[in-house]
Parts: sequence; structure tokens; C-alpha cells
Amino acid sequence: MTTPNPEQEKDSVPFYPDHVRTEFYVVIGIVVLAFIIGVLGMMFPVGLQDPADPLNTPLHVKPEWYFLALYQLLKYVPPTVIGIEGPVLGVVVILLAVLALVFWPFLDRKSDSKKATWIRLGLSLFILVLFIALTIWGEVS
Amino acid sequence: MSLARKFIIAGATVVVIAGVLLAATTLHGLAYQDTGNGGTTAVDAALDLPPAKTEPCLHCHIEGENTSLWTPLARWLVFGALGLVSAFGIYQSASVWTRRKPFEPLTARAAGWVDERYQISEPLSKILKKPVPKFALHWWYCLGGITAFLFVVQGITGIMLAFYYKPTAAEAYASIQFIENEVLYGAAIRAIHHWAANGMIVMCVAHMLRVFIMGAYQKPRELNWVSGVLLLLLTLVFGFTGYLLPWDQRAYWATTVGTDIAGTFPAIGDLVLVMLRVGWDVSEATLGRFYALHIIVTPLLTVAFMLVHFMMIRRLGVKKPL
Repeated sequence: MTTPNPEQEKDSVPFYPDHVRTEFYVVIGIVVLAFIIGVLGMMFPVGLQDPADPLNTPLHVKPEWYFLALYQLLKYVPPTVIGIEGPVLGVVVILLAVLALVFWPFLDRKSDSKKATWIRLGLSLFILVLFIALTIWGEVS
Repeated sequence: MSLARKFIIAGATVVVIAGVLLAATTLHGLAYQDTGNGGTTAVDAALDLPPAKTEPCLHCHIEGENTSLWTPLARWLVFGALGLVSAFGIYQSASVWTRRKPFEPLTARAAGWVDERYQISEPLSKILKKPVPKFALHWWYCLGGITAFLFVVQGITGIMLAFYYKPTAAEAYASIQFIENEVLYGAAIRAIHHWAANGMIVMCVAHMLRVFIMGAYQKPRELNWVSGVLLLLLTLVFGFTGYLLPWDQRAYWATTVGTDIAGTFPAIGDLVLVMLRVGWDVSEATLGRFYALHIIVTPLLTVAFMLVHFMMIRRLGVKKPL
């Protein structure tokens, strides 16, 4: 690690200062962006709705956008699926999906290939499009 | 310089100064001896000066002090000795110029002081000089770092908001109004906290998709993927718990519905529901619990998992793309 060989020199840069400098530019960019958001936030505040009232249920209850797709998915699960309650099935499926996501590296143990990369890219795009579609649907419904 | 030479120099200096003092004192005594002709001194007479004022000697004003030679001499000796001590000090300080070490800036000396005690420079330079492969310099390798920095932004703005926020049902809403309207730049801080939270989730998912597509989760990086997914879940917990804190209609009912969904789990649903809401309904107790989760539990877990995540990246390196 301490004795750099020419091979390593050719296709790598030292973490400090080269890589740190690059990351620093990114950080500066984010800070500038945060500053702009702050200035805009002074003009258009995040704002509040009416104070919470446990006795008054609003007509349309919506979660944050990142939960909206899941929420929309659960909303359209039929009440009973093959003798099981729909919502229960929904949350169990979602839990299993999350568990599958957590343990995915242990499920996909084949050695990597170019073809697999393309398949994963396609799968990612499909899930992304599905997620965005569900979110928009949830937003307008 | 040897000690003997120092003593010789000091002794010679003492002799010379004592001689000068003795001469001065003698002249002083002579000069102000009362010659009996109305305050005019012998020197005045010799130099043909006009008569001095009636008080010829300021020192001699002090009672009991005559024109004797020994009183001013003793005074000169005492102050002269003190003067010698300071002269020796000045000499010692000045002689540092000839025997001091080469110049080192204060920062380097401070760094050296710390390093002598913590012995950190060697491992630190190893960490800093670690080569980063050039293929990892594309923008899509930045997404995780952006997520991490947005977490820092959230920490800073979150602490700022926590200065003013009150996690009680009676005061939460009003304290957010106070932040928006009264606190200097409060609306800006809240806007940054709000939008950076959304950005953090976007960046987190983008980073995960990048890792997924490039297959960087495979052996030996499985556990890094696991810690990464847990970090995503923690980010979502941040979002879910933070959403309740303004205590407005949207917050209250979104939390009600969200915890309802968690309550539909078979077998443990009711337990989860009660644990989340601290009772059967969303109430002030829920607000307190979500606040504690949002500002203490989740940040601590996130920092811990981030450290593990980063250390594993360091040890295993970035996966070479196919």
C-alpha cells in the first residue's frame, strides 16, 4: 500500500489530494444547491396544513411520495385473494420483497457477466418505471 | 557558550556598571552638596549657572536622607542588581538566536505535538494515500457520497430545527409556525431540511440501482449490500417519523394510515401498531416516540451502519466494471 508500483500509478489516483478534491467539488455543489433551496424556501416556505384534528378525517389521505407507490399497490389489492385477506397478503408480500432485497447477494451467486448486467439494467428500469407510474397514479387519484 | 565564560562576562559587566554607578553617585553627591550660598551648587557655580530653586535635590526631600554618599549608593546597588538580572535575561533570550533549531511553523509544531502523543500520522498517511482506481471517477460512483453528505446536511439543519421545535401535541404545530415566521432564516432551514430529505432518498435509491446494475453486491461485498439496504430502510424511517412532527392534518392522518398498514401484519400486527403509536391511536405519546426515533435512535443507527459501510468499501475496494 505504501510502496506504489508503476502499474498502480497508471490506473489509479491517490485518495488525497486527487480524489478528495473531486469529492470536495461535489460537496461545494450540494452546498450551493442547499443555499439556493434556502433562498427559494424563504420565498416559498414548506408550509403547514391545518392543525391535526383526530376527530376530522380528511377526504384524501396520502403518504409522502416515496411511500405512495406502495400505498397505491396496497389500495388495489382485492379484499380476499385465495381465502387470505388482501391487505394482509399485501404487507406480507412487501415484507418478503424487502427481505429478498436485503439478502439479494446471497440469492444471486452466479459469477457476473455482461449479459447479466444488461438483464439487471432492464429489470431496474422496469421497476423504476413501475414505481414512477404507481406514484403518479397515486398522486392524481 | 560555556558557563565559565558566562560568569566572566557577567562579572565584568557588574564591575563596569558598578564603576559607572559609583562615579554617577559621587557626582550626584558633589553636585547637590549645600554650598551655603542660597541653593546654588558647586557645579552650578563652576558652570556659572543661575541659582537653582530652593529645593536642590528631589531625592533628599525624603526625611532622614541627607547628602550622605551611602544612601544613594545602596539604592543604586539594589536597582542596579535588578537591572543586571534583566540584562542577563535579555542576553539569554537573545543568545537563543545562535543555538535554536531550524524554523518550524507553529502549525507543524502543533501537528508534531499531537502526533507524538497519538502517533496517528503513519496510519493516517496510509489512509490518505490509498490509491483510488481511475474507473471509479465517473459521476455515477458519486451517488453514495452525495447521500452521505446530504445526511450531514440533514444533521446540521435538523439540530437547528430542534433548537426551536417542541414535540408536544399542544405546541408542535405552533413551534413549526414560529420557525417558519419568526426564527431568522427559519423557513430556509426548514426548506433545506425538507428538500434534502427527499434528495437523500432519491440519491440513496439511485446509488442502490447503480450498485445493483453493476453487480457490485456479489462476493465478497454481500454484507456491504446488506448494510446499504438497511441504510435505505433507516432513511425511510427518517422520512416516516419526520413526517409526523409538524402535527398538521396531513402528518396526523398519513401516520394513522401508515401505522394501520403496519398493523395488518399477521400475528404481530397489533403489537407493532401499539409499539409504534404507544396506544391504539396516534396521540401525543406517538409524537414523542417518533421524535425520539427521528432525532436519536435512527441517526445513531445510521452513523453506525455508515461507518461499517465505508470501512468495508475501504477494505474491499471498488468493484472493477466488466
